[in-house]
Amino acid sequence: MRPTWRAYGALALAAILFWYGATSAVPWLFLLAWCLVALVVATAVYAAWNRAGLSLHLRVARTSPAPGSPVEDLPQSVLRAGPAPAPVFEGDGFGLEIGIVNARGPRGPAWAVGQLGGRETWAGTGLVPAGRWAEVKEMGAASRGAVGARGWRIFSSDPLAFFRDVRPVSDATVLLVLPRFKSLADRIPPRELEAATAAPRAGSGNELFGIREYRPGDSLRRIHWRSSARRGELVVREYEPPGMRTVTILVDPAPPSIGVADQIARIAASEAWDCIREGGRVALGALTSRDIWEVLESLARYPDGDAVESSGRDCTVVVTADPDLFDPAARRNWLVGDTPAREDADFRRVGTAWPL
Amino acid sequence: MRRLRLPRSRIEHSLAARVCVLCGFGVAVIAIVVYGSDYVIPVVGVIAATAGHIVSFRQRNQRREFWTQVLLAGLIFGALFYVIADSTLAVFGGVLPQANFAILLVAITSFDLKSRRNCYSSLWISLAILYLAAVYAWDYAFVLFAAGWLLCLAGFWMASHLRQIEAAIKAPVRPVGFMLAGALVVGLAGFIAIPQPSGIPISPLVISLPNFTAFRGDMESAALPLVQIAGDAAGATPSVDLHFRGRLGDAPVMYVRTGAPAYWRGLVFDTYRDGVWTAADHSYRQTEPYVPPRLLPPPPEQNLGTFVQTFRVLRPLPGVINAAYPIQSLYAPVAALREDAYGTFHTPQQLTPGQTYSVVSYIPNLSPQSLRAAEPEAVFRDPNAVELDGGALSPRARALARQVVASTTNEYDTVMALNAHLQGNFRYTLDLPPVPAGRDPVDWFLFDVKTGYCEQFATAETLMLRSLSIPARLATGYSTGDYDPVLNQAVVRERDAHAWVEVWFPGHGWVPVDPTPGVPAVAATQFANHWAAGGVARLLPHLTIGAPMAAVGSLGILGAIPPAIAVAVLVVLAIAWLRRRAARPLRVTQPGESELLRLYERVQRKMRRRRAPPETPREYQDAMDYELLMELTAAVNEGVYADRWPRPERVREIAERLSSR
Repeated sequence: MRPTWRAYGALALAAILFWYGATSAVPWLFLLAWCLVALVVATAVYAAWNRAGLSLHLRVARTSPAPGSPVEDLPQSVLRAGPAPAPVFEGDGFGLEIGIVNARGPRGPAWAVGQLGGRETWAGTGLVPAGRWAEVKEMGAASRGAVGARGWRIFSSDPLAFFRDVRPVSDATVLLVLPRFKSLADRIPPRELEAATAAPRAGSGNELFGIREYRPGDSLRRIHWRSSARRGELVVREYEPPGMRTVTILVDPAPPSIGVADQIARIAASEAWDCIREGGRVALGALTSRDIWEVLESLARYPDGDAVESSGRDCTVVVTADPDLFDPAARRNWLVGDTPAREDADFRRVGTAWPL
Repeated sequence: MRRLRLPRSRIEHSLAARVCVLCGFGVAVIAIVVYGSDYVIPVVGVIAATAGHIVSFRQRNQRREFWTQVLLAGLIFGALFYVIADSTLAVFGGVLPQANFAILLVAITSFDLKSRRNCYSSLWISLAILYLAAVYAWDYAFVLFAAGWLLCLAGFWMASHLRQIEAAIKAPVRPVGFMLAGALVVGLAGFIAIPQPSGIPISPLVISLPNFTAFRGDMESAALPLVQIAGDAAGATPSVDLHFRGRLGDAPVMYVRTGAPAYWRGLVFDTYRDGVWTAADHSYRQTEPYVPPRLLPPPPEQNLGTFVQTFRVLRPLPGVINAAYPIQSLYAPVAALREDAYGTFHTPQQLTPGQTYSVVSYIPNLSPQSLRAAEPEAVFRDPNAVELDGGALSPRARALARQVVASTTNEYDTVMALNAHLQGNFRYTLDLPPVPAGRDPVDWFLFDVKTGYCEQFATAETLMLRSLSIPARLATGYSTGDYDPVLNQAVVRERDAHAWVEVWFPGHGWVPVDPTPGVPAVAATQFANHWAAGGVARLLPHLTIGAPMAAVGSLGILGAIPPAIAVAVLVVLAIAWLRRRAARPLRVTQPGESELLRLYERVQRKMRRRRAPPETPREYQDAMDYELLMELTAAVNEGVYADRWPRPERVREIAERLSSR
């Protein structure tokens, strides 16, 4: 807790009043001077009391999808399993809730300042009620990747700003902005579509596929009682059939630019989405999942994270800016950017504009 | 050459802060109205300032226009012209011209309040206005104005701070209320209990500027409050007639801010004939309204320093500067002053209610040792040859004087013996019948009625001292009055009008001696309790504040050890407290975390047994055997150990289920 210039100013004013009172014999000046000194002392006590029990709380409060955001196309059942309160895709706006948690009775003023995604952000209040105070800041269009809260500090002071306390807050990731994607089914030749529709569905295999609502005729042994209790309705386990389709995606581990990396992530996400919505499974680097959100989170961190780790498997789809990474055995090779490639190679060239 | 400029001050966007600035000005103006009896300019000023604040707030983001600045500067010069005209010619009544100038200055500049620094300027001028009101304030109601102005200042600080952090004007009412009330109470306690330092007065306090109403012809006769002369409605007389006595009430005449007690001396008389005192020497010299020390007699050889007195006149008074003598310097807001042959200063006109003047006087050393050591001069220089004239005293009275002082050996003891005789054997009364026709008032007092009022006592002692070859004369004026140690001021009432004796002591000059019963023979030069805590201490007779300090002081150099230990303990405690509360990095709480933990705390309170520190949540759940605690415990465990906190909505669901059960 440190005094501010204002406290020194108040004490200087009191000193002037003392001096003037002593030389002019006007006693009321002493009253004003003593009250100012007492005010400085009282604010010091207040500021010491005010600094205790405050902590910072950052979260995404709401999102505002941009035109063409995948949110518009995703079914509700998929969205429900997504991050709360709603997934944020690149280009979407979002509201950041900057909250100050107060473990004690009402206090204030307090304010928080820090960098969010490289942008200076702050929020403050004169009154922090018991529990929590929060303010939502609109953050505008987001870029793909982790949005970090860096260098945040909680400030508290007395109401007159004579004394100020600052406490640093450890850095954290507040939000993961996911890559945009769009079904590429209309760009895939019909023979591949036929193969996709022939992909296996949920059946009675051994690997857990998921859960769904109970239908008459389902075996009672398949009821998932814990989930049924949570939902308030009967649900049963589904097991995936043997021989299910798996799409292995290889992404360029060293994209030349952020724009190219964004495009690679978008194409990979789109390929993954086309696979998963048809009941398939995606292998992306070290990750193997049938959950689109896990894949998107992995691609949101691309080129960092586990999306570029070698899976040691044959690739179904290659998305790269480097033609040397093409896999002749792959079902599709995507080349992002203007890098020349051999003419005999089977690939599709795209730029960095989205949608394709 | 590098141009010196103050750093740019930010624009004050807070409406609440500006309202506080205006309210601070309003408080100061009301104080001027109440205590300065000044009405027109304050009302005009408040209206103009309100309009100015509105204009300033609306135009705070606009650039200053050149011609607007010229207009405002012209108005300020106009206000200055008004002050000069009012001060010198009393064109507008001459009431508090400098306060009116400050009010107009605030009103004019309020049209150009853009930055925070501008707002501070307005507040400081308001403080100056409040200071001028404080000079005139003589009762405790002024505390309300001081507190009000301070609250406005605090409100400005608070509003501007909240605006700076982009927060709404909200605050925890009770803690902030405690803080402000605590500050006011502690400040008031400090004001009452802690001695007010009295520095060396630099000069007389200049409250009002002088006007040009000069003397017309010779010095006018001053009215004496003590004696009313038939046939002169104004009571103007240069004499004191012992045959008559005016009726004196309790009405305040003036109040005096003073650092020491003293007689506020007015006129001095040296010639006594047939019961009437007059002044023999009518010469005078004219001075400027400010009389510096170099124009006045040198300080007494043995003086105890100086003290300042500020007089505020509450009712019409004769044009005489009542003050403690000897004077070091003085200032009176008049065109000129005249000093008579006895050192008393006169003003051109009557002193009017509201008029203020200020005097710096020497504190004489009137200790018995000092006065007793005074060596008699061979020849007392008396240009008028009247201050040793005891011829008016009867032989019987002379014999009484010689009898009383028969055993004394020096001047001081002689004066004190005579004084003690009068104080011990005569009675003070205001109900005195008229002096019988043809009877000498002094003989009648000394040998017939043996009762009298201050003039009788003072006259008798003066003449008896003269008969013993000790120079003496009659001084009139007022006694100190009712002294208020908190406000450091004395209220002087009609009944405080007084007469006493001035005795010449070699090396000391004219020393006031008072033969009136019930008062010290030699006036005190220091208040018994100069500050209010003295009054408080009197209420606690068993509390001897000085005893512990005396005990510590008796230890000599070792006396520093106890306070040093106390200071060291305080420092160690402070460091330990600060280290304990040292800033630790906080982590960002997850959504639902605080909600869940608060719910867990609430449930524990509801179950009337809190989880013991070594107890795990699971053990606590098993011990409590409460079905609904299971889900909560599972959520807490998952959050604490796996850092997977439930969403706030789910916590609310759990809370609702718990409360429904």
